[in-house]
Amino acid sequence: MKQTQGNNGNKKFGMVINLDLCTGCGSCMVACMAENNVPFKEDETDKLDSITWMRVYKLKNGKSWPNADICYLPRPCMHCGGHGDHGHSPCVSVCPAVATDYSMATGIVSQIYTRCFGCRYCMAACPYHVRYFNWWDPVWPEGMERFLNPDVSVRMRGVVEKCSFCFHRYQLAMNKAFLEGRRVLEEDEYQSACTQACPAGAITFGDLNNPEHAVHQLVQPDPKHAGRPRNPKAFRLLERLETNPKVYYVSSRKWVRQSGDNYLKKEKQKI
Amino acid sequence: MKIDRRSFLSFIVGGAAGTALTPLPWKITDDLSIWSQNWPWTPVPPNGEVTFVNSVCRLCPGGCGITVRKVDARAVKIEGMDGYPVNDGGICPLGLSGLQLLYGPTRIPYPMKRKGNRGDGKWEKISWEKAVSEVVTKLGEIRKNNRPHGLACISESDRGTVAGLMARFMSAFGSQNFIRQPSMEDSYELALYLMHGIRAEAGFDIENAAFVLSFGSGVIEGWGSPVRMFRANSKLIKTGGKVVQIEARLSKSAAKSDKWIPINPGTETALALAMAHVIIKEGLYNKDFIENHAFGFEDWTDGQGNKQQGFKSLVTATYAPENVAEATGVEKAVIVSLARHFARASKPLAICGRGQGRTSSAIGEFLAVQALNALVGNINQEGGFHAISDNDYIDWPEIETDQIASNGLQNGRLDEAGSENYASVRYLPHRFFENIIAETGYPIQVLFAAGANPLYSLPDTKAVKAALDKVPFIVSFSSFMDETAQYSDIILPDHTYLERYEDVPTPIGLQKPIIGLTRPVVSPQLDTKHLGDVILGIAKGLGGSMAQAFPWKSYEACLEKTLGRKLDTLLDKGYWSPAVFSVPEWIKAFETASGKFEFVVSDQDGNGDRKTKPIADWYTGVESQGDPVTYPLLLIPYDSMRLVNGFVGDPPFVIKTVEDTVLKGKDVFIEINPKTAKQLGLSEGKYARLTTPKGNAKVRVHLFEGIKEGIIALPRGLGHTAYDSYIADKGVNYNELIGAVYDPVSGLDAAWGIRAKLGKA
Amino acid sequence: MDSALIPQGVNRCPLWKFALGIAIVGAVLMWGVYAMMLVWIKGLNQTNMNDAYGFALWIWADLSVIALGGGAFFTGFLRYVIGINDLKNIINYAVIIGFICYSSAQLILGLDVGQPLRGWFIFWHANVHSMLTEVAFCLTAYFGVLCVEYVPLLLENRQLDRVPFFHNLSHNLHEIMAVFAATGAFLSFFHQGSLGGVSGVLFARPFGFREGVFVWPWTFFLYTWSAAACGPCFTILITKITEKVTKKKLVKDNVIQILAKIAGWMLATYMVAKIIDTIYWATVTAPSKGFDLMTFYSNNPLYGIWILILELVVCGIVPAAILITPKWRGNPRGLTLAMILAVIGVCLNRWVMILQVLAIPVLPFENWALYMPSWQEIATTILPVCYGIILIMISYRYLPVFPQEKELNPIAG
Ligand SMILES: Nc1nc2c(c(=O)[nH]1)N[C@H]1C(S)=C(S)[C@@H](COP(=O)(O)OP(=O)(O)OC[C@H]3O[C@@H](n4cnc5c(=O)[nH]c(N)nc54)[C@H](O)[C@@H]3O)O[C@H]1N2
Ligand SMILES: Nc1nc2c(c(=O)[nH]1)N[C@H]1C(S)=C(S)[C@@H](COP(=O)(O)OP(=O)(O)OC[C@H]3O[C@@H](n4cnc5c(=O)[nH]c(N)nc54)[C@H](O)[C@@H]3O)O[C@H]1N2
Ligand code: SF4
Ligand code: SF4
Ligand code: SF4
Ligand code: SF4
Ligand code: SF4
Repeated sequence: MKQTQGNNGNKKFGMVINLDLCTGCGSCMVACMAENNVPFKEDETDKLDSITWMRVYKLKNGKSWPNADICYLPRPCMHCGGHGDHGHSPCVSVCPAVATDYSMATGIVSQIYTRCFGCRYCMAACPYHVRYFNWWDPVWPEGMERFLNPDVSVRMRGVVEKCSFCFHRYQLAMNKAFLEGRRVLEEDEYQSACTQACPAGAITFGDLNNPEHAVHQLVQPDPKHAGRPRNPKAFRLLERLETNPKVYYVSSRKWVRQSGDNYLKKEKQKI
Repeated sequence: MKIDRRSFLSFIVGGAAGTALTPLPWKITDDLSIWSQNWPWTPVPPNGEVTFVNSVCRLCPGGCGITVRKVDARAVKIEGMDGYPVNDGGICPLGLSGLQLLYGPTRIPYPMKRKGNRGDGKWEKISWEKAVSEVVTKLGEIRKNNRPHGLACISESDRGTVAGLMARFMSAFGSQNFIRQPSMEDSYELALYLMHGIRAEAGFDIENAAFVLSFGSGVIEGWGSPVRMFRANSKLIKTGGKVVQIEARLSKSAAKSDKWIPINPGTETALALAMAHVIIKEGLYNKDFIENHAFGFEDWTDGQGNKQQGFKSLVTATYAPENVAEATGVEKAVIVSLARHFARASKPLAICGRGQGRTSSAIGEFLAVQALNALVGNINQEGGFHAISDNDYIDWPEIETDQIASNGLQNGRLDEAGSENYASVRYLPHRFFENIIAETGYPIQVLFAAGANPLYSLPDTKAVKAALDKVPFIVSFSSFMDETAQYSDIILPDHTYLERYEDVPTPIGLQKPIIGLTRPVVSPQLDTKHLGDVILGIAKGLGGSMAQAFPWKSYEACLEKTLGRKLDTLLDKGYWSPAVFSVPEWIKAFETASGKFEFVVSDQDGNGDRKTKPIADWYTGVESQGDPVTYPLLLIPYDSMRLVNGFVGDPPFVIKTVEDTVLKGKDVFIEINPKTAKQLGLSEGKYARLTTPKGNAKVRVHLFEGIKEGIIALPRGLGHTAYDSYIADKGVNYNELIGAVYDPVSGLDAAWGIRAKLGKA
Repeated sequence: MDSALIPQGVNRCPLWKFALGIAIVGAVLMWGVYAMMLVWIKGLNQTNMNDAYGFALWIWADLSVIALGGGAFFTGFLRYVIGINDLKNIINYAVIIGFICYSSAQLILGLDVGQPLRGWFIFWHANVHSMLTEVAFCLTAYFGVLCVEYVPLLLENRQLDRVPFFHNLSHNLHEIMAVFAATGAFLSFFHQGSLGGVSGVLFARPFGFREGVFVWPWTFFLYTWSAAACGPCFTILITKITEKVTKKKLVKDNVIQILAKIAGWMLATYMVAKIIDTIYWATVTAPSKGFDLMTFYSNNPLYGIWILILELVVCGIVPAAILITPKWRGNPRGLTLAMILAVIGVCLNRWVMILQVLAIPVLPFENWALYMPSWQEIATTILPVCYGIILIMISYRYLPVFPQEKELNPIAG
């Protein structure tokens, strides 16, 4: 019964974010908001109540002036494959109503707003704070609803939303390919809005299962360890929890790589 | 009635089945959930035919190509244009938020005339004919009174056809008072004029550099053309190039650089000269360039036979690293090693202009940094500094001024730029407003504000307001209800950049010339008019020589005529660039009196005679305002791509990206070193009163290890009072707390910070 | 006027006093109802919950009342399945308290979800992997059982009992009560357990996560166990409070002592299991994910190690010791203290397993998230308490809840 995302024709879309290149500019955040009809309020400074499918975190090395260092880390949904990549992402396995699901064909964790009844169990399950609840009715200032994107449905109050890896773009690309009589997408035919916008070219998106794709080459996922990166400069957030994310980070700075996971005091001393 | 077990069970089962079979509860339950999935107050974006329109973003001087996705008549998403030479698909947060400005509540919907007092926000809707005729009447009056120089215009830019029409209008009218918003362009332009002898734009071939030495330039904070700089920076990293950031605060650029050299702000000039000292002492400079293509390196004798000090003896005499180590806060060994690395790098490039470069600076700093480029001989070289003469595609007929205009033009500029004191400078906006307040020169009777928002973005906003109070008639052409528009007397709203045509000349910092084309993505959404057409309309209304100076039927006709065949390329490809382009060789690159690069700064008069101030006077920085006893701290600003620092406010999407350690509710955070905070008894999140010689504000404290003790930093781009409830009333406007500091030799505003104190609030 | 409804042979306070009591509690209840309407109409923005605290005061209240309502299933199990007959003298009250707890839990859930109108999707689109699905099914089914258990008591009202149909119905229900009690115990085992599973399965939340057997984390068993231990304590505590308020003895001491003793042993064994669980988690499970025990208890103003000591020692070992020691248990003060501590202990456990799980940053670059409930949340949490008091007042006044009341309080003359 167990399924895995091996190389059986299934895609495993993923993202590699180069933190050496990332400037922390926030374009990815805004590109995502603009693409995905993310609502906004007059005051968005309470970050525990501010919907940002993509959020850029500021990491600090904890040292004092002038040895202080900072690094920016963009955080979309990790589209976790769960233990052994069997599709039991932390969030998917807990949703009582199958309002969020794991696609074996793409590796994408979906979110169906009209199915979600807002119990927020998935939010409790996700350690990345990727999931956002619509505490408020989405309201656009008069006239501004004109820029809403018809490819993505607007969410009503009381449901959870999160980064979809711009799944609608996948659907559009597949439709187009289908009309042209193709079954397979080229690497550049399906790219997320944040990848496309990033002015620093810090984000790479593609099929981790496809050795031709840049994402695969950048991290060299290890199939024996559920896709753990073999590139020593690459890492995933909270690798030790075995959530098995499909978002990888690359940094040449050791303290940055170490900021991606928790270590015991004695382990830290050894590193 | 006796109930046995059987009838009891039948009752239970029957009851349950009966209820279940009644359709009503199930139907209602289902209908309610369906209703909850289709709440009428949650919008459903209509579908339609998808099209794409290519254009150029005008929200900052970056000049990025954009591709706008449309669904039927609606613009739904702005994306970076693939293949566009500036940004090749990349785009910044502001560019992405353009549709929020287009469709947002902050637009000015139609021409409006002030009711009640200035700034009260009470407006009367008027027709376009009436709006234009009001302006024509006012302008007619001042011309009739022979005071055309009483008209002034402040504009975001002075390049391209729209700014060109505006400038032409001023000249034809008889006023020299066309003013550009300050930026590092002022300082670079002047440095290039003084050292290269040409009016040109600074171009930086960062993509191909191997070692970028940045004196506080926010390469990834929006300096230059932001997206292009990001891409260049990424390319540099990928090709193993090095970036050294010299900056007082651990900015994003500093954090991303290979080496961050914290410096005491305001001492950049000294550091650059100390580096020059090492390079010269150790003979690491480019001998060919210095010996054959530079002037003023050695001591020299001027036309009057006076001995003059050259650059070499200046830096060797005064700027030994050990002499500046204490003042700059950079150790001698660091300076020496930095100088060696820079000089030995295969393609070194030194750049300056603080943060996003949206202010002018002391000319000495730019000269010193440019001197470093000269020493390593990277001028007009691959990976180096390029001086790009603006491609002069605007070739309009000479203006035939009438008598009134000629008389008016005799009066010179109110800001004294180009006068004897400030001969080579083109614009001095802060001086313009100060002279209005001081009633020096002559009164300004009408002020045009086009694409500029001086009431927010010039230092010392209180003074700017006081100056505006002395101007009886202010005309705003803004598309948005910004601070200046709100404080004007009449508004003739322009289309936004998504509704109009406009040529976009080479973006700032680009190392090769291009022209871009902004074009209407959607039809005008409101009753607005193209600024170009409005200018033509006003000129026609004024008649006579004014009308003659503007022979075009419409702005579009003017644009077509101006661009000629380039327009076809622009419409087709989205941009135009010369088929072949290369920067001139050293032998042809300089148009100074010596025909060489000049270390010695010497304004030339008409005869080419040098009117020389001693070299030491030029190569200096300026002190900050305020006395160190009353104000023990130094306040510096910082820029961020997540805040907007130009003529538009921060759209909701952009402000949403701001961290909660920068802005929380209505409160802005001041960055402060934990040790300094402790001395002041302040801790994270606490309220504090920030006072400078220019004003005071309530702020909150954010402890940051990336800032030196004794220095505090405030973000630029907050504290708007105008626009709408999504933009206004967030944080503090840095410009309210700072004043201009005159650079004694150039007259430019050289303030890089201000002294301040911080107390518990 | 209402005397016709009052069971025969017992004394009740005058109607005005009763009405006044109802009015006072009712006023507080209406405050809660007002807050509830605000939440339903305006949405969950009326709360201080946020994206870090998707679960907060309400879910804590929910888990707590279900644990406390555990007295119903466990007493029922002891009475009907094990056959401890003496417990028939407290089972009615245990059922009423259970009914109140479970109906309150449902009400709170109805408030807590963002889209209450779609709440039924949990049944219709059920995900068998989700602990909440299990909770929903078992909880609803068990609430049905509680209703069935409550109905015969209702029908014993003097006036209703006169109707032959009701009389017979009640009689029949009584006869098959053992079946319902067994079903209830079975269902409770699962839903109490799956509530424990709610945080136990969160493998990406190291503070809550527990290893276990098959699909069940250890918290599954610990929750059932602690509910069986502390539920009866709550039943006894409420009984004692009722006796205080009515100034009457309502249940004989031997009944209380039997239940207390059993609860005591449940609590004692639960503590052994809980301590083993804690040690394994602190030394094996959490460190394997990079967490020292103390990281869960430092760098924040609220959650210190005191909370663990309070839960395990003060509100765990201490009450267990009192309850399994006949002398201490026999002392009324000792008994009351043990009941209070056990109740606090289980509520604290639920708090920690819900709120502390969310408060602790898992991403190393995030901070602790603390939260303060809004008045709307507090009011709606007090609402079920008021509703419970009113239901108890009415039930006590009009139903023969305590079979021993007549015997213990003979009416003079
Ligand atoms: N061109 C084309 N048209 C077709 C078909 C085709 O293959 N090609 N197939 C036909 C068939 S068989 C069908 S069933 C219909 C399907 O037609 P639709 O039901 O319209 O299906 P989609 O366009 O796939 O998706 C609907 C919306 O769901 C959004 N969406 C994507 N992911 C999520 C998510 O996780 N949650 C939520 N709430 N929304 C999400 C998409 O962005 C899109 O706006 O189309 C029919 N029409
Ligand atoms: N990744 C992804 N997967 C999806 C979906 C998605 O949006 N994304 N959508 C899902 C949905 S909603 C649906 S309905 C399914 C559709 O999935 P499928 O039912 O697989 O639909 P098609 O891909 O349209 O392929 C049907 C096949 O029938 C062939 N065909 C066409 N006309 C005829 C005919 O007259 N006779 C016969 N014998 N064959 C014919 C076509 O050539 C094609 O090979 O896909 C589902 N799977
Ligand atoms: S857009 Fe690119 S550079 Fe900017 S924050 Fe996102 S990932 Fe970093
Ligand atoms: S990051 Fe969070 S929401 Fe995304 S798949 Fe993983 S657990 Fe689920
Ligand atoms: S909030 Fe929605 S998506 Fe999340 S677990 Fe509940 S029903 Fe599923
Ligand atoms: S992949 Fe798409 S949905 Fe996810 S963060 Fe990027 S833009 Fe947003
Ligand atoms: S950098 Fe400037 S021109 Fe480019 S997209 Fe951003 S705002 Fe527009």
